[in-house]
Amino acid sequence: MLKEKYKAEIEHILSRYPVRRSAVLPLLYLAQKEEGYVSETAMKEIAGILRLTPPQVYEVVTFYTMFQLKPVGTFHIQVCKSLMCALVGSDTLLRWLKTRLGIGPGETTIDKLFTISTVECLASCGTGPMMQINDDYYEGVTESKVDRILADLKRDGTSSLKSGPFMLPEPMKS
Amino acid sequence: MPPFEKILLKNMETPGYTGSLADYEHAGGYQAWRKVLGKVSPAEITETVKKSGLRGRGGAGFPTGVKWGFLPKDYQGSKYLCCNADESEPGTFKDRQLIERDPHQMIEGILIACYAIGVETAYIYIRGEFVLGAQILERALAEARTAGYVGQNILGAGTSINIWVHRGAGAYICGEETALLESLEGKRGLPRVKPPFPATHGLYNKPTVVNNVETLANLPHIMNRGAEWFAAIGSPPKSSGTRIFCVSGHVKRPGNFEVPMGTTLRELIFEHAGGMRSDKPLKAIIPGGASAPFFTPEHLDVKLDFESVAQAGSMLGSGGVTVMEEGTSMVWAALRLMEFFYHESCGKCTPCREGSSWLVQTMRRIVDGRGRKSDLETLVELCQNIAGRTVCAFGDAEVAPIMSTLKYWRHEYEELIQQAAATAPVELMMPAMGKH
Amino acid sequence: MSVETVEVTIDGQKLMVPKGTLVIEAARQAGVMIPHFCYHPKLKPDANCRMCLVEIEKVPKLQTSCSTPVSNGMVVRTATTVVNDAHKSVLEFILANHPLDCPVCDQGGRCDLQDFSHQYTPTTSRFIEIKRIFQKEYFSPLIEKEMNRCVQCLRCVRYCDEVMDVKALAPVGRGTMTEIKHFGTHELDCEFCGGCVQICPVGAITSRLSMYEFRPWMLKRADTICTYCGDGCRITVQAKNNQLIEVNSAHGVGRNNGDLCPRGFFGYHVSTHPDRITQPMIRRNGQLMTATWEEALEYVAETCIALKLKHGPQAFAGLITSRCTNEDLYVFQKFMRLVIGTNNIDSSARYGQITGVRALRRVQGTPRWTVTFEDLVAANALLLVGTNVTETNPITGLKIKEAVKKHGASLVTIEPLVPAVGKISNIANLSTHDFPGRPDRFGAMVLALIKAVMDERLVDAELAQRAPAYVKAIGDALHAISWEVLEAETDRASAAWRDAARVFAAAKRAVIVVGQGVLRHPGGLDITTNLLDLLLLTGHHGRPGCGLATLAEENNDQGAVEMGAVAEFLPGPSDVTDRHARERLAGLWKEELPQGTGRTLTGILEEAKKGAVKAVYIVGENPVGSLPPSSGAKEALQQCEFVICQELFMTETAALAHVVFPASSYAEKEGTFTNTEGLVQPVRQAIDTVGESRPDWEILSALSVLMGYPIEYGDAKEIFKEIRSVIPGYALLGPVPTPPRPDVAVITQYVQSGYAEDVTNRYRLPGEGRGAKGERNEQSFTLVLSQSLFHSGKFSTRAKGLLDVEADGRLALNGTDASKLNITEGDRVRLFNDRGEMTTTVTLRDRLPDGLVTFPEHFDEQALALMPLTVDDRTGVPYYRAARVRIEKARGNGQKVTTYSAASSPSPLASGLESPEETR
Ligand SMILES: Cc1cc2nc3c(=O)[nH]c(=O)nc-3n(C[C@H](O)[C@H](O)[C@H](O)COP(=O)(O)O)c2cc1C
Ligand code: SF4
Ligand code: FES
Repeated sequence: MLKEKYKAEIEHILSRYPVRRSAVLPLLYLAQKEEGYVSETAMKEIAGILRLTPPQVYEVVTFYTMFQLKPVGTFHIQVCKSLMCALVGSDTLLRWLKTRLGIGPGETTIDKLFTISTVECLASCGTGPMMQINDDYYEGVTESKVDRILADLKRDGTSSLKSGPFMLPEPMKS
Repeated sequence: MPPFEKILLKNMETPGYTGSLADYEHAGGYQAWRKVLGKVSPAEITETVKKSGLRGRGGAGFPTGVKWGFLPKDYQGSKYLCCNADESEPGTFKDRQLIERDPHQMIEGILIACYAIGVETAYIYIRGEFVLGAQILERALAEARTAGYVGQNILGAGTSINIWVHRGAGAYICGEETALLESLEGKRGLPRVKPPFPATHGLYNKPTVVNNVETLANLPHIMNRGAEWFAAIGSPPKSSGTRIFCVSGHVKRPGNFEVPMGTTLRELIFEHAGGMRSDKPLKAIIPGGASAPFFTPEHLDVKLDFESVAQAGSMLGSGGVTVMEEGTSMVWAALRLMEFFYHESCGKCTPCREGSSWLVQTMRRIVDGRGRKSDLETLVELCQNIAGRTVCAFGDAEVAPIMSTLKYWRHEYEELIQQAAATAPVELMMPAMGKH
Repeated sequence: MSVETVEVTIDGQKLMVPKGTLVIEAARQAGVMIPHFCYHPKLKPDANCRMCLVEIEKVPKLQTSCSTPVSNGMVVRTATTVVNDAHKSVLEFILANHPLDCPVCDQGGRCDLQDFSHQYTPTTSRFIEIKRIFQKEYFSPLIEKEMNRCVQCLRCVRYCDEVMDVKALAPVGRGTMTEIKHFGTHELDCEFCGGCVQICPVGAITSRLSMYEFRPWMLKRADTICTYCGDGCRITVQAKNNQLIEVNSAHGVGRNNGDLCPRGFFGYHVSTHPDRITQPMIRRNGQLMTATWEEALEYVAETCIALKLKHGPQAFAGLITSRCTNEDLYVFQKFMRLVIGTNNIDSSARYGQITGVRALRRVQGTPRWTVTFEDLVAANALLLVGTNVTETNPITGLKIKEAVKKHGASLVTIEPLVPAVGKISNIANLSTHDFPGRPDRFGAMVLALIKAVMDERLVDAELAQRAPAYVKAIGDALHAISWEVLEAETDRASAAWRDAARVFAAAKRAVIVVGQGVLRHPGGLDITTNLLDLLLLTGHHGRPGCGLATLAEENNDQGAVEMGAVAEFLPGPSDVTDRHARERLAGLWKEELPQGTGRTLTGILEEAKKGAVKAVYIVGENPVGSLPPSSGAKEALQQCEFVICQELFMTETAALAHVVFPASSYAEKEGTFTNTEGLVQPVRQAIDTVGESRPDWEILSALSVLMGYPIEYGDAKEIFKEIRSVIPGYALLGPVPTPPRPDVAVITQYVQSGYAEDVTNRYRLPGEGRGAKGERNEQSFTLVLSQSLFHSGKFSTRAKGLLDVEADGRLALNGTDASKLNITEGDRVRLFNDRGEMTTTVTLRDRLPDGLVTFPEHFDEQALALMPLTVDDRTGVPYYRAARVRIEKARGNGQKVTTYSAASSPSPLASGLESPEETR
């Protein structure tokens, strides 16, 4: 139950909006953080908190791409396939991931570690090809970088290669 | 002409600048807020913004001051400001930099806007994927609250303004202002029928202004240095100020470049972005994000301001400039964008919903070498039947890639259709990853 | 209020329309039909299908006529080539993904998509891609879903939300693959109003009850009135080979304006149920044996004549159900009064309707509403008392929802409901001032509201000086009751009552709606009268659009009273004791009327028990099944020498009869019903009479001939003609009732002196000092027999469709009480008090207030055993719908049985149970 575990947080969220229903996305994020995906129980509970019917929560969940209705791998690799990244090799990136992990978009490795999805533009077109793994961006990736990232993740659960605040391009030395 | 001085990226391009409150204040941050709060009347601020000629940077380019003016006068009850940080237009990544590198600049802009239009609650609607951006904003807001710039009775001036970060969850359409409002109300992000406009019936049916991050980020500077100063920058009167152009694709030095409006594509691409990445010559340019019709090398001397780009048959849009080199299949490129639009169509309007799936399927057939002569005919007619017949501008946007590529590179379509052998898209185009 | 009108030109035609009219509606008025899918007059424009595009002068782009209001001087063109091409192209887009399965689609022949396609004769499809395919999924027992046909206009979803306030349908996914679902893979669980089926412009959502059974043009249609509640919905019954195929209701007609509830939409299988009695039956050595009409009629006639000679007419009594037509009811009471010669007549109006009629007649003269459904919709403030409106009178409920949701009316609810979202809508969720409580608290709550009116000085000045004594009397009486007591009794702070009082008093148009929770419960007459006081005190009474509306539970409750099918009234209704009325009627009937007032339902049973009443003639009533055993109804009838029943089915009562006549159902006869508003509406025959059954009036008429006092009519119309001569102005007054004005003389008499006789009693806390008693009763729960949305009396429990949704009775209680008893959904529990016990299954319903548990009356065979029976000495209304009970987990649930007090701490099962509190 979210209500017990995140009591304070939920109250803070509700306090930000004059209308309860506005809290549906924040609460869904809580639910997904909790279980790794949005379960029916969670949707029912959120409906209860916001005085909505479960279908009203369900229809929202299915409209947005970031909510999972089924569990996904520990590391959810989301590769941008929009034109700008494609121009600089996102298809090659996908093929490379396949050779390394043996899975393609929509698939999960047997060890449940990795799931690959393709997504649309993530606003790092200047630093493509790129992928988002869980919350982190990895930009300007190359074959070798991919290998290091995957190794890091398996080993430490995170990787130093993830992007920090927007850097590129380096200021021009004029 | 004096050497051009950047406005929005200036701070963050100074080595060592972290975007912290301290850094921002050290660079003169929140002076504008202190200057206007309680001292300059909201009406005056709106006037100044009108005079400055500032136009929306989100895509539509609507004069900001005028938009504010649409709010009902002396309206009792709550009004809202929404900062549109949904930046999802393919090829656009300027807001992300403004958010992650200099959050206080946009927060100060939001404060000034709220004060000018008498708003006590503002929401920053940031696209869900910007997890880092959201964290940075939350941190900055926390700093601003402790410093007393945000919250109750700000700087003792009696004004109260609360700013909340609201994360989207993966839907391009939520960048459309009314879809944004629906989403913020906890519903599916479907655009609303207009009129009524947000200015009168917006968030929770209350008067609401939606402004883009970059638009708002300009406000502190306008307040500090005056409308005349801003109005003189770029190519007045219609296109004052700078734009941050996001250059992507086959250039040496992709990235964000802030230049005065009116700068030519040639200068942007060949000087700022360092020119083409290889010896392959330039083939095509998208000047204003995925929704903008393609340009050819003939357009290199088009000035990057609202009018010139429009006259040349495209739009300045969101400032996303994508450069493609010789050898890039235009049909393939158009399909990629069409797949984006198909994926992102909210499904409300019949022409957009059914049209996008129809177009995508037809384009795939052509790219897969299963095209028919009659297809080109159909493509054009379908596009014409979508544009201008939908609730939001998405309908007009989604047809741009096909229409413009068909206009300048029709032969590429015809060649594909003639090719008997089926050639899968991957074979058709398989760009390699860079060697960063 | 005059609305501003503007001039608009449509395809060259100039016309004036009210400002704000949508172009598509203006065009309709100009006789121009603009094609559309997503637009529906009932729904907020969504402009998603883009079909209705038109050209508007001076506007560059084509505009959607469904979302564009006209402005003065607007020039609209709907027939230009540009517009035509636009329509064609939108149609092409819709058809691109639409399957070509019209031959097997139940919408075929009445499908907007078919019609428009035909109209625009689209050239052979250019669409050579793969059509969108949705995974077929089971949706629900009653509603079928074929998403491949969906045009995604979302009318179903919008209707379910905007009109019904149920919100059970969700558009799931995005883009072309958006699909209408309920919740995940769960089957639809909702009100099953059928609205989505009716409003779907294509065949995406259809009824499973009639799936694949027909093509529209094969059906024989009859526009008639639903018999499942007093709202009097217009329904179109459609039949094929004398089988009922489907029921629907056209937008724009009837009091329901095309909206229906599950009973009306899915409950139509009763009339053709195999258990229908199809032949007369006579009891021969203990057994009911089939007989011919001649035998049966002659047998009954002879026996009645003999008994009348032997014991006199007062040894007879008659009971009739208010489900009958006015014609049946009128002939029945005439038969009893003339042919038999007794006033011992009663009908099911006795169960509650009579309460309202009595209060209304006393205070304002007229026995009818002084308002209409239109006034409910237009009201600025509505006060609901004990209505459970969604379940009992669903369409009245829709009017209230519309008033609140569309027009922002204030809503004060004194209901056995707390706000909580559930599978069916909950009027308390829309309430601006909600006061949840058990029925036995309603009286106190109404007093609190009136006291607040007094305290807040909201009494109408004009009344205050016209009838100071009246105002003072009420004021003084209420002054004697402290807020402390009232706050305890009502569980609400006086401030809340004051707010509600202010809002109600301030409203320009205020309507009070009184339901079964008051009319069928002890104190009903007083509470209703007090509510009329409230209207008078706030100065609303008599003002246009203001009034008190009592909700009729059965379809012709009001008619039953007005036809004089009750002991105390002659047709009119006028008092049986009213000399002038008696003379007039005797003149018309050319017969003397029996003397004295007759016995009411319970009176008749008493007399039967004593042996004073020896013969009972029963038409469609079922006292043995309806009343609790403690009423001794069964014994009473068993005592009788002769019991005659006219019935559709072998009810508990019919099973005791000496003769049973097969009667025809509403679907098989002509006549009229009078709905809760007092609107008289035509009932039309939809199918041939089932078996040898005959309309009730015909049977009575045939008997009258054999008994030598012929009451003959050629058809129902002739009876109605006679009714009109007896009750002047009793007529089918068109589609909308013209409500009577209150009788000023009566009101004056009431506020001058009439009130005095019982004002102190009425303004006393019901069951004074129950406070203390209440403590003791904390040990137990209040069990109330409730009305379900899915059933109507016991009648509908033979409707296949409704049984699919609700097949049996379950004990409903809220989660808090459940956890106190440590039981949950689906558990078996034992209910008991010193009267009896029953075992049933639990279902959780969070809308119920703490301490209140309900059980559907439609399945109450067992539950009745727990019910105390009290009879109101003034109205003769039998109360038996509430009892104090204890609840425990039934054995077989695993753990050993222990009872838990409602006050959480477990207490061992007390040996000597306190006598369950007699309701008042
Ligand atoms: C399909 C669509 C997507 C849009 N996406 C964005 C976006 O991601 N960010 C943005 O600022 N504006 C976006 N817009 C423009 C907004 O609707 C709106 O015009 C803008 O946010 C107003 O701010 P401005 O006046 O400061 O430009 C989009 C518009 C459309 C039709
Ligand atoms: S099911 Fe019918 S009413 Fe509902 S959206 Fe689809 S087509 Fe419209
Ligand atoms: S009817 Fe107007 S858009 Fe659908």
